[in-house]
Amino acid sequence: MSDAETPPETEFDPVAPNTGEEFEPVDVFPDSDDFDLRPGADSCYKCSTCDTNCPVAEVDDDFPGPKFQGPEQWRLKQSDDDHEIDDSVMDCSNCMRCDNACPSGVPLSQMHNTARGEYVSEQMDKLSVEYIRNRILANYRTSAFFASKVPRLANFAMNFGPARWVMEKTLGVTSERDFPAFAKQTFRDWWADRGGQVQSRENAKAARKRRGLPEDADKKVAYFHGCYSNYNTPEVGKAMVRVYEEFGYEVVAPEQKCSGTPMFANGMLDDARRHAETNVSSMSELVDEGYHAIASCTSCSMALRQEYPELFDIDGIDKVAENTFEAVEYLRIHEDLKGEVQAADVDGDLAEEFAYHAPCHSRNQGLDRQAVELFRDLDGAEVEDVGDSCSGISGTYGWKEEKYEKSMEIGEEMFEHMEHAEGETGMTECPTCAMQMEHGSGYEIRHPLELLEAALVE
Amino acid sequence: MGPTPHIAVIGGGSTGAGIARDLAMRGLDVTLVEQGNLTHGTTGRMHGLLHSGGRYAVSDQASATECIEENRVLRDIASHCVEMTGGLFVKRPEDSEEYFQKKLNGCEECGIPAEVVSGEEARAMEPHLAKDIDKAISVPDGAIDPFRLVVANAASAQEHGARIETHSKVTDLIVESGEVVGIEVEHDSGPGKRVHGTEGGTEEIRADYVVNATGAWAGRIGDMAGLDIEVRPSKGVMTIMNIRQVDTVINRCRPKGDADIVVPHETTAILGTTDEEVEDPEDYPEEQWEVDMMIDTLSELIPMLDEARTIRSFWGVRPLYEPPDVGSDDPTDITRDFFLLDHDERDDLPGMTSIVGGKFTTYRMMGEQIADHVCGKFGIDADCRTADEPLPGSEDFSVLRDYMDEFGLRSPIGRRSVERLGSRADDVLKTDGPNPTVCECEGVTRAEIQDAIEGSGSDLNAVRIRTRASMGNCQGGFCSHRMASELHSEYDEPVVREAWDELLQERWKGQRHALWGEQLSQAALNYALHATTQNRDQDPANGDPVDFSAFDSGRGQTGSSVDSADVAADGGTDGY
Ligand SMILES: Cc1cc2nc3c(=O)[nH]c(=O)nc-3n(C[C@H](O)[C@H](O)[C@H](O)COP(=O)(O)OP(=O)(O)OC[C@H]3O[C@@H](n4cnc5c(N)ncnc54)[C@H](O)[C@@H]3O)c2cc1C
Ligand code: SF4
Ligand code: SF4
Repeated sequence: MSDAETPPETEFDPVAPNTGEEFEPVDVFPDSDDFDLRPGADSCYKCSTCDTNCPVAEVDDDFPGPKFQGPEQWRLKQSDDDHEIDDSVMDCSNCMRCDNACPSGVPLSQMHNTARGEYVSEQMDKLSVEYIRNRILANYRTSAFFASKVPRLANFAMNFGPARWVMEKTLGVTSERDFPAFAKQTFRDWWADRGGQVQSRENAKAARKRRGLPEDADKKVAYFHGCYSNYNTPEVGKAMVRVYEEFGYEVVAPEQKCSGTPMFANGMLDDARRHAETNVSSMSELVDEGYHAIASCTSCSMALRQEYPELFDIDGIDKVAENTFEAVEYLRIHEDLKGEVQAADVDGDLAEEFAYHAPCHSRNQGLDRQAVELFRDLDGAEVEDVGDSCSGISGTYGWKEEKYEKSMEIGEEMFEHMEHAEGETGMTECPTCAMQMEHGSGYEIRHPLELLEAALVE
Repeated sequence: MGPTPHIAVIGGGSTGAGIARDLAMRGLDVTLVEQGNLTHGTTGRMHGLLHSGGRYAVSDQASATECIEENRVLRDIASHCVEMTGGLFVKRPEDSEEYFQKKLNGCEECGIPAEVVSGEEARAMEPHLAKDIDKAISVPDGAIDPFRLVVANAASAQEHGARIETHSKVTDLIVESGEVVGIEVEHDSGPGKRVHGTEGGTEEIRADYVVNATGAWAGRIGDMAGLDIEVRPSKGVMTIMNIRQVDTVINRCRPKGDADIVVPHETTAILGTTDEEVEDPEDYPEEQWEVDMMIDTLSELIPMLDEARTIRSFWGVRPLYEPPDVGSDDPTDITRDFFLLDHDERDDLPGMTSIVGGKFTTYRMMGEQIADHVCGKFGIDADCRTADEPLPGSEDFSVLRDYMDEFGLRSPIGRRSVERLGSRADDVLKTDGPNPTVCECEGVTRAEIQDAIEGSGSDLNAVRIRTRASMGNCQGGFCSHRMASELHSEYDEPVVREAWDELLQERWKGQRHALWGEQLSQAALNYALHATTQNRDQDPANGDPVDFSAFDSGRGQTGSSVDSADVAADGGTDGY
């Protein structure tokens, strides 16, 4: 499609996309959770690099590590019958560092995710407290949805001491952590109030004009905000929209559900699949229209790019995977982001020195140095890397009562480096890493998009 | 009845072990001698197919009928050695329809349960089959572990009073007054279990009767008494894949041909084979093209084999025999049936019978016939019980257990161990001490290794075939030294070193024909690891004994007491 053409009319309206409720996907591959991953073991030559990079194995002597859990377990397994998955798969936090560490391309996290899914659906007691707790944690979106209707009450109730004590005792959710606050207005409410796609188109046009670009330039992205920036940190979502509009992009915020990251980590593949079907369906139609999918959370972009095609066989899933980008990454590719940042400066609230932690999932996408390098020449702010360790929370892992101590032990290295860093504000792309950073250091944590907004948007 | 006759059985393959067990169970005195390990010969170098008989249903119906009978018996008495995978005879579009029908009819005629399945159904069973296959015949083929089976037969013979001598070579037959009266044996390391470095020696074993069950070597034993036994050894190659691409035995449904079968075996799949006559059963060429042919031809049935990792290849020689008057040119035409050669009737030399030909699947039946024959010589009327009495390990057992609760093992490891040990699992795996995994690829723990050492002495290759330790994808790269360490402290350092060297030699040998792609990376890593951490590239300690007292005893040993149970095997708890 050339820039001069207007997009063809389709029945699909991104402003009011399909509701997801009566959505009936075609099951192309009914047993898609039953992938035989034994052939993946062919690539393993047993060097143990994955084991030495696994943050959980480092602190948990009972955890056998990724080499056992992945290639060894799969090779020992038989595809038939009653070969059980070892329950240690539930101790893996799904940080995916092993994936990145393996020199030989063993599909480790795919193996873990698939085995965990099998364990949960076939071996785990569905009435056990652990199952129920994991299901609640994995379905954060559902809780957040209700909480966001009554944010003040929810914020109070969720962190109300006696209630937390009961949650820990009956559900095994640690009472050490504070639940994240729910925003008074969700991102989507803000977006709708602001005029949605129509307004965004106006803003983008104005920006293109300002920048001397053709007014009808084909610059458009579909924002996958995920649950957290919708319910808890809408300021990240707003920053994304404003930064993209500043560069002349029209933004749409299609119907979407949870990316599935917490569900993979808890082996709830059926839940994840249901959500993925909605996400893939709305994103793939947009991709067909020339949109790219942009996520501000590195675990969301990871899910859409890697885990979806590895775990599910849904129509359009590969197309979505190929066209998904992390928010800053996309601008680095398509704009002279470095140049613009160099020419800019920040003052006020975000003129800070940031202690930056690269989330494990950003590492797998090759994005772990991006924030540090991008902001190096920005006047008024400093970004200092706090090292390549894992924050230790890994989404839901650190919320589990029995994992809390280990989670903090893993995070120890990062906390120490944060302490030694110049600044007293943290920065990261991942919402749960942010929780852990805040919990361990007491710093306020910001997202790189917020700094970009402060630097580039008037 | 006079004193119990003493029978010497030569050959510790499936045939010899089966004969020894049968005779011992009938109350005879038995000595089995084997020049190497148990299964040193063809038995340790075969395909591991528990024949349904389907392969012979057209060409050799007598063998086919025996196979299906014994197939049923072994499922019962050797359940811990057998995996009933089922088998398929797969027809590709270019394969003859006429032969397909013949195969189907042949199976029916031989009493082999056979059923036609569509190409689609076959692929539903085995998703990696080629998309364009026409159809298949399903038969009750299975996979069988030859090592476990022979070791169990020998153990049972021993329980019934037999003497088993491995690493003991028969160097001569003792013939007195025109009758074979015993054998002369050269022990590698003294009688009993093999211990490296132990003084060997020769022994004269007098026997009332000698059974020659040396398979492809039968002619050599015959030579010792001037007998002419025309065994025609025929070699075949087998290539082991790292994983199981199929969980069913896959046969190509066409007349005879090379590279027409894949057998899932434990964690691996084994491709085979060829059939080519050789002069010498111990010295014949092993060539790369044979391996290439396995992969290329079988990729027509299972395309992913083309890209898959092979971990090693090995060759075996069939002990084919045909009566001198038949004279087949092509070894594939020689019958797979077995022959009992009574040298009294045949050559006027009483005191010995040879058994030649046959198959692994029918080993028990062969044993029964020989035992009947031998008992007949002594007027003993004892029933054969080998078809009813389970082998040690195959008594009632279930593999569905709570491995963590019962044995403290993670489920895939516990499962594999229990599958290997069968009913012996409780005896072997319930130990008080720590039970770390020694071989990670195959999930073999210390308890199982120790049990094997108890049974076979310092011979690590014998430990290997009993446990599968070092038979996985690293081919001993990460576990050979751990296995060797398990020999300590029962055995001294020089014994351990020699056993370790021998294991490594054996492991490298089979990888020569798998050195490309992933297995080449593995070999390079193994080499680097062994060179840098064990001085294996040039070991200055070889030869001279090491002065271990010159080393200190490690951190924390002096003065402070170290509670060794607190130290994780990976050094995890001490922070280093
Ligand atoms: C490539 C190939 C694949 C096969 N696949 C199958 C299959 O899938 N299924 C099946 O049922 N059959 C199969 N067979 C056939 C089967 O392996 C043999 O028929 C069977 O193993 C023969 O056993 P054996 O005990 O007679 O001989 P062996 O196993 O060869 O035993 C003879 C023993 O005698 C010992 N010996 C020799 N000389 C002396 C001496 N002087 N002193 C002491 N000991 C001595 C040898 O070391 C040897 O261990 C296969 C054969 C080949 C070659
Ligand atoms: S890093 Fe990769 S090759 Fe090495 S042991 Fe782990 S999975 Fe195997
Ligand atoms: S995903 Fe993380 S926790 Fe799980 S095995 Fe890999 S490195 Fe360890």
